[in-house]
Amino acid sequence: MRVLLYGMNHRTAPIEIRERFAVDQTGPLLRKLIDRPEIEEAVLISTCNRVEIVVTTDNPDAAQHVLADFFVRDLAVHSSTSREDDRPLTAELSDTTYLHHGRAAVEHVFRVASAVDSMVVGEPQILGQVKDAYREASDAGTCGAILSRLFQRAFATAKRVKNETGIAQRPVSVARVAVDLAKQIFEDLDQKTALLLGAGEMVEAALVALDDHGLGDRRVANRTAAHAETLARRFRGSAHGLDEIDTLLVDSDVVLTCVGGDTPLLTRERVEACLSARHDKPLFLIDIGVPRNVDPLVHELDSAYLYDLDDLQEVAAANTEERQRESERAARIIYEEREHFDGWLVALQAVPTIRDLKRRAEEIRQTELERFGGRLRLDPGQEDAVAQLTRSIVNKLMHAPISRLRDETDREAGLVRLEEARTLFALDDDASGAESEEDPREIVDALVRSPRSEEDSGNES
Amino acid sequence: MAAVLYLAAGVGALLGLALPARRVQMGARWGLALGAFVQGVAFATLHRLDPAPSLTDLAQAVAVMAWVSVVFLLYLMTRFRLPGFVPPTAFVAFVATFSAALARSGQPGAPEASGSIPHAHILLASSGLAALGIAGLAGFFFLLEHKRLKGRRSPVRRIPLPSLEALDRVNRVALALGFSLLSLGVVTGALWLDARGGSFFSGSLHETWTLIAWLIYFGLFMLRIVGRQGARQAAASALAGFAFLVFAVLGSGLAA
Repeated sequence: MRVLLYGMNHRTAPIEIRERFAVDQTGPLLRKLIDRPEIEEAVLISTCNRVEIVVTTDNPDAAQHVLADFFVRDLAVHSSTSREDDRPLTAELSDTTYLHHGRAAVEHVFRVASAVDSMVVGEPQILGQVKDAYREASDAGTCGAILSRLFQRAFATAKRVKNETGIAQRPVSVARVAVDLAKQIFEDLDQKTALLLGAGEMVEAALVALDDHGLGDRRVANRTAAHAETLARRFRGSAHGLDEIDTLLVDSDVVLTCVGGDTPLLTRERVEACLSARHDKPLFLIDIGVPRNVDPLVHELDSAYLYDLDDLQEVAAANTEERQRESERAARIIYEEREHFDGWLVALQAVPTIRDLKRRAEEIRQTELERFGGRLRLDPGQEDAVAQLTRSIVNKLMHAPISRLRDETDREAGLVRLEEARTLFALDDDASGAESEEDPREIVDALVRSPRSEEDSGNES
Repeated sequence: MAAVLYLAAGVGALLGLALPARRVQMGARWGLALGAFVQGVAFATLHRLDPAPSLTDLAQAVAVMAWVSVVFLLYLMTRFRLPGFVPPTAFVAFVATFSAALARSGQPGAPEASGSIPHAHILLASSGLAALGIAGLAGFFFLLEHKRLKGRRSPVRRIPLPSLEALDRVNRVALALGFSLLSLGVVTGALWLDARGGSFFSGSLHETWTLIAWLIYFGLFMLRIVGRQGARQAAASALAGFAFLVFAVLGSGLAA
């Protein structure tokens, strides 16, 4: 059984192509996909930055064609933005998609869930999106023992990466940087007053970010009163004219400015007078106007903390670099987790051998019982006792080799031992033998639930 | 045992900050609390002995100061995120407790050092010093944070600290409490002197420097009350004031 991942992301395909394959409801499509004999299990991850399908298969060569075909025939058709045009989808796909086999596929899933592969490294949304994708596949019944295990490990890996590295600590958007700075100056943002000078799109976007983190009072001051009123009404604030600035500044804590004009609206003298009137309580000024609305000398005042757009962008860029550095630490965690998963997957290869071994032992027992049953002339009670005795002997004899095979196949030497077992017990001599009555899925599930596996998954909760 | 717990808390807190690991930080906090409990029990047990060790001994007084600073910090930590305060407080508490344990000779104090007024003086003055020490620490961290924010560097701190506003509040509360206790310590000290020599002020090095330190703190306290001092100046004054107080009270005590 092999894990395969086929898809496209923000690095390989532009939005114009990605949007043609993005889907909202993955369940029906996944059910259709696993109807194909080449595919055993499937999970589809579809976000604005990636469309990826993870499958398990016994026939990787055939499966990769099935997946490419699935993208063209099913995803593109079901996409909400699909449209009729002349562009040859197959040609586009060959340039914009990637295919990962085995370990590389597992590692990719871990990287995606841990937000190491995201456009903004460390962003928190992707984990929720991957969890949604997994849930939809589980609900659709297309996620079996292997992909369940893979995704559970992916979630555990994401948790480790988040806790053990600083990948998600540093804010990388200008708005988040501003909010984080405000939180480092003030204790309770919801007890603070924000003054917004200007009513344009930039102010509105900043207000949305600040609003998400709760601000007690919002005032909007603008040259055009109507614009200020519209914005104030939307964010439950009050509207003012620019002539009220001096009064408003005295009891405002966070000031965000983005108004037009060649000269600074807030001069050093003006802010100094305001600080004096507010007994030097700290004032956080965010100047996103171009040209700047606040005199840079304001930053020299003890209680005034002035950040302009360049400052915020510089901090955001430095944080992005830091996240990239942290992603190297994340890579080590991902490698460790991939090795664990790989070991588990290899252990699954013992399943057919264990099944054959059990069947072989049972066949011998039955044959010998039949051979000697007639000669011994046993009554039904004695027959039962002998059957029980032979079953017990066989089970005890088989217990050690089966346990050893199960325990050692997660090491490389285990694969050699599997081959040896097949030779020693002549399991391949009747490879075309009767199908086992035991469902292989049950054996897989038993392995998934084995004490060792439970121990492994203990830290996922 | 209290000294060992303080040392473990200090090392644990440093590790917790360096890794960073919240559980280790929490463990350090519990270590600090356990150290304070053990030291409190030790104080109570020692002072039931007959004769009890004298609190007026410098090492014992410093140990009391360390104990009060740990208890005060633990109280403040219920209201503010102050893991950055744990290592310095724990290490100071370790040194003070360890020194007191080494210095304890088992000899009873001088007859003039027994009685409720000398003990009240030591307890009040040590508690005042402890609170002013926390104010100084808050001032130090405020200046560190202020410099970082003025330098427009990354908003992620190396040491987890509360906001500037919270640090300023810790500074203000600790200053108000510390100054009040120090004032009561000075008054009880004068009463003790009067009981010993019939005068409220004998002009010794320790008394003179302590009085100067008290006057400086009186000035700082008044500036804080009337709101004539910005947060940065208040932080710098709290730090400088505590350095002067340590020099005045402990330095002159050692010199004597």
